[in-house]
Amino acid sequence: MAMEPQKQVMLRIYLVYALMCLFGGAIIFQVFRLQFVEGEYWKKKADSLSTAYVNIEASRGNIFSEDGDLLATSVPVYDIYMDFRAPGITKELFYHSVDSLALSFSVIFGDRTPQEYRKELKTAWIEKDRYHLIQRKISYKQLREVKKLPLIRMGRNAGGLIVQQNSRRQLPYRLLAARTIGYKIGEVKPVGIEGSFNEELSGISGLQLMQKISGGVWMPINDDNEVEPRNGDDIITTIDVNIQDVTEQALYDQLVKHNADKGCAVVMETATGKVISIANLTRMPDGSYGETFNYAVGYSSEPGSTFKLASLMAAFEDGLLELDDSIDTRGGKMQYFGQWMRDSHEGGYGKISLEKAFAVSSNVGISQLIYGCYAKKPDAFVEHLRKFHLHEPLKLQVTGEGLPYIKDTKNKLWSSTSLPWMSIGYEVQITPLQLLTFFNAVANNGRMVKPKFVDEIREHGRTVKKFDTEIIADTICSASTLAKAKTILETVVESGTARNIKNSYYKIAGKTGTAQVGYSKLNKDRKISYQASFAGYFPAENPKYSCIVVIYSPSNQLYYGSDVAAPVFKEIADKIYATQFDLHKNTEPLLATEEKTSVPVKTGKQKQTAQVLGKLNVPSSINGSSGWVSSVPNDDIVEMKEKDFPHGTVPDVKGMGLSDAIYLLENTGMHVSASGRGVVKKQSVNPGTKTEPGKIIQLELGL
Amino acid sequence: MTNTWLQKYFRGDRFIWVIVFFMALISVLAVYSSVGTLAYKYQQGNTGYYLIKHLIILLFGIGLMYAAHLVRYTHYTGIAQLGIIVAVPLLIFTLLAGTNIHEASRWLTLPIINVSFQTSDLAKLVLIMYVARMLSKKQENIKDFKTAFLPIMIPVIIICGLILPANFSTAAVLFVTCLFLMYIGRINMKHIMMMLGIGAVLFTIFVSIALLSDTPGRVATWKARVENFLDKENGDANYQIQQSKIAIATGGVAGKGPGNSTQRNFLPHPYSDFIYSIIVEEYGLIGGITVVLIYLVLFFRVIRFVRMSPRAFATLLAIGCSFSLVFQAMINMAVAVNLFPVTGQPLPMLSMGGTSIWFTSIAIGIILSISKEVIKENDNETREPTLATQN
Repeated sequence: MAMEPQKQVMLRIYLVYALMCLFGGAIIFQVFRLQFVEGEYWKKKADSLSTAYVNIEASRGNIFSEDGDLLATSVPVYDIYMDFRAPGITKELFYHSVDSLALSFSVIFGDRTPQEYRKELKTAWIEKDRYHLIQRKISYKQLREVKKLPLIRMGRNAGGLIVQQNSRRQLPYRLLAARTIGYKIGEVKPVGIEGSFNEELSGISGLQLMQKISGGVWMPINDDNEVEPRNGDDIITTIDVNIQDVTEQALYDQLVKHNADKGCAVVMETATGKVISIANLTRMPDGSYGETFNYAVGYSSEPGSTFKLASLMAAFEDGLLELDDSIDTRGGKMQYFGQWMRDSHEGGYGKISLEKAFAVSSNVGISQLIYGCYAKKPDAFVEHLRKFHLHEPLKLQVTGEGLPYIKDTKNKLWSSTSLPWMSIGYEVQITPLQLLTFFNAVANNGRMVKPKFVDEIREHGRTVKKFDTEIIADTICSASTLAKAKTILETVVESGTARNIKNSYYKIAGKTGTAQVGYSKLNKDRKISYQASFAGYFPAENPKYSCIVVIYSPSNQLYYGSDVAAPVFKEIADKIYATQFDLHKNTEPLLATEEKTSVPVKTGKQKQTAQVLGKLNVPSSINGSSGWVSSVPNDDIVEMKEKDFPHGTVPDVKGMGLSDAIYLLENTGMHVSASGRGVVKKQSVNPGTKTEPGKIIQLELGL
Repeated sequence: MTNTWLQKYFRGDRFIWVIVFFMALISVLAVYSSVGTLAYKYQQGNTGYYLIKHLIILLFGIGLMYAAHLVRYTHYTGIAQLGIIVAVPLLIFTLLAGTNIHEASRWLTLPIINVSFQTSDLAKLVLIMYVARMLSKKQENIKDFKTAFLPIMIPVIIICGLILPANFSTAAVLFVTCLFLMYIGRINMKHIMMMLGIGAVLFTIFVSIALLSDTPGRVATWKARVENFLDKENGDANYQIQQSKIAIATGGVAGKGPGNSTQRNFLPHPYSDFIYSIIVEEYGLIGGITVVLIYLVLFFRVIRFVRMSPRAFATLLAIGCSFSLVFQAMINMAVAVNLFPVTGQPLPMLSMGGTSIWFTSIAIGIILSISKEVIKENDNETREPTLATQN
């Protein structure tokens, strides 16, 4: 200890400082070495390691029906690769697992034999393939199985599995509203809701660093800089799956029945403009029908007689016509400036009231009425049509809307016959949805609302945007015009062309239309096809829904709106009425006053049956304390008798609903295969025979 | 005029102040150039967000430095004692409940202001202050085992042991820093060697326990890093190092120029762990040498004024703070040039990151505070004799 402490400390500090200088020197030396000694190597390396950021697509949002059913969704599919240089795959481990791996791949994918897979994996292993394709487009379920396999289950880094996710769009309800939901294929401009809300549905794509490796393939590199994609938002539509189903089915049946080219049907909620169902069917070359073009939205054509409502409302607005004004239908035909106009009913109707002329859809009658009012001032007539907003596109939430065409007097094509023909729905063009919007305005007491397809946009179940009902016009006409319009629409169904859809439960108001397509005032030889339509609303007293049905080119003799289109309307309206209890004004008289005879009652559990009959006030006598009961024929009263199923024998399930029948039969160990609907009418294994577990019993159901 | 104004408010070694502002400038340039990928990941490509955030952090850091340099350094003895009492429970709490970034519980999210806070940065500074204090207090019988060595060693082991599970490199760097400090403070070399042995044993025990249990946690990462460092052939696993080397090699003598780095897109944490590679890539060998020199010059300036101070605590505290900072800087740069296996040590004052910058700022503030006192004392001493000769 020669030195004094302070000097000793300073000496040690200098020593440490020298050490740090050495350290710094080493760093500088290393930088120098990397630049000048190894420089070329690393520069070359930089060029060979071409890496790039590629987009990872965000998963597309779903499209839902109003009550949350999936209408369109993206199902993930995966491409899987293996990296045979993954640190976890050692030689021993590989040869130990290759057999079971090959066998499992063969079982899971079923496309190659275990031997083929084994050979392929071995080759890839020997070549130390860093990006060996195992399988493309596998499902999530398959991926989960793959992840359990030996080697692979060691995880992403050790096991070498590389998964690339893609997605495939699926419509769980297939055809239902398919065209309105739309599609997006490749780079083609997407259509329908998929198209209009493409931005919201798409989300924001992420970034993944990819490295180019031998063979020109790109492999993803796991790094901290990848950007997660932001998934697309969900779209909640206004579509009601059940009503959509009914709409589609009713339209389809009628198209088949009348061998028509195409058709559309739309149901709209009167107050809100919500489109709760929209069906568009086109006959395909093979004779089936598919949703390929959105006629309701995009197809603008001459509407025919349904347009007469607008014509008469124009005259009502000016106070020029009253419901009981009379008009001579002149034997069903007349000439305007040398052009013949005919009624569909040969011989005409004689002298009838305006109301009747509308109800029977007399072209001669209506055109004369309108011509009488506006021959000298056709501008005023056109002006009214414009006030009804019939000349404006609706600017819908789905793209591709057809443009309406309302001719005015300045138009070069305006002629002296334009006014009478416009009054009956020719020389104007309008899409079914635009016409429905007008009819809906009448139903909605004059307030015109815009049809709405999308209710809200959600992000992870949270509403980010809500679409309110848009009002086009608070009122399109006076109250007295509205009252007259409603009256004549009701008369059409009460005693006019659409009386075939009149029913005693609820009232329909509407107008039939039968337009000749390809009709020309000048060339009568041209082949004529027809466009049958019906537009209206129900219940007429307090409208809840409006609906339009248009069927193009029916080809089995019948082509009137009343015969072809109106029944579809009724079918849809009946189903909606039957399922929406708030539409029913009084339900009591149904059972009690009509006929008393046998109410059909399903065989079922005693307790539940008694409860149902009690609630419905059906006079009944139920025997038996517990277990199953079935009805006994009796005209005055529902009589139920206890039913017994001996153990070990096939139960008698006739008269039961399917769910009860399945419950009983599957409990005995049998398998049920059923067809039809209603209650069980026939069973393929006789009751009372011994049960055989695993045997299939066929049930036939009927009403 | 301005000179006196500066002298009045920025006291202490003005050369160190200049170095600090120069560091801040480099930091802003390098960080702004390298946050691109981060910005795309979290802020839709808004790099401005990170620039402003970093500027605010730096300004706040310089504010802390200013405040710390106003405090008379003798007060830091008390602060050291208080700090130890606070730091130990905080470290335990972080280990148990900390925010998990990269599978390591290193961060505490401060309530109310919602800022992540790396507890080990606090513990590091506090421990160095504490060791400096103890060393100066025990100078009388510094070679003694029981009265001098033990009271210093126990807190070092406790704190490093608490940092170890979540952050091996910080614990190791801190441990070695403390050993150097003890060496400077004249602790018996035999004891220091013993402590090195104890540290190694404790670490081995910890690793074996971790390896034997089913959840290896951070140990797996360390193992992989060391293996990668030793196994230079397997280049792919060494992705980060490869990218770092490419950055340095392609930088050349003069660099690609500010904002022209391409490797920032491939390097993980180019704004923190690998900021040195980005600096070399953009400012070349010249920039690389400059940064190394900045730290060595800083250390040199500290040694220069410490030499004039007769007080052991002032010397040891100033050397402790500056050595810790320079040593960490050397480790960071050594990783970037692949002299060292990959660790997560930021480059003090240059890397982005709130806690690291703030505690580095406080450390420099303490250094400045000491230099302020030393210069004042020296002025007085030199003035007195001159007055005497005149009389």
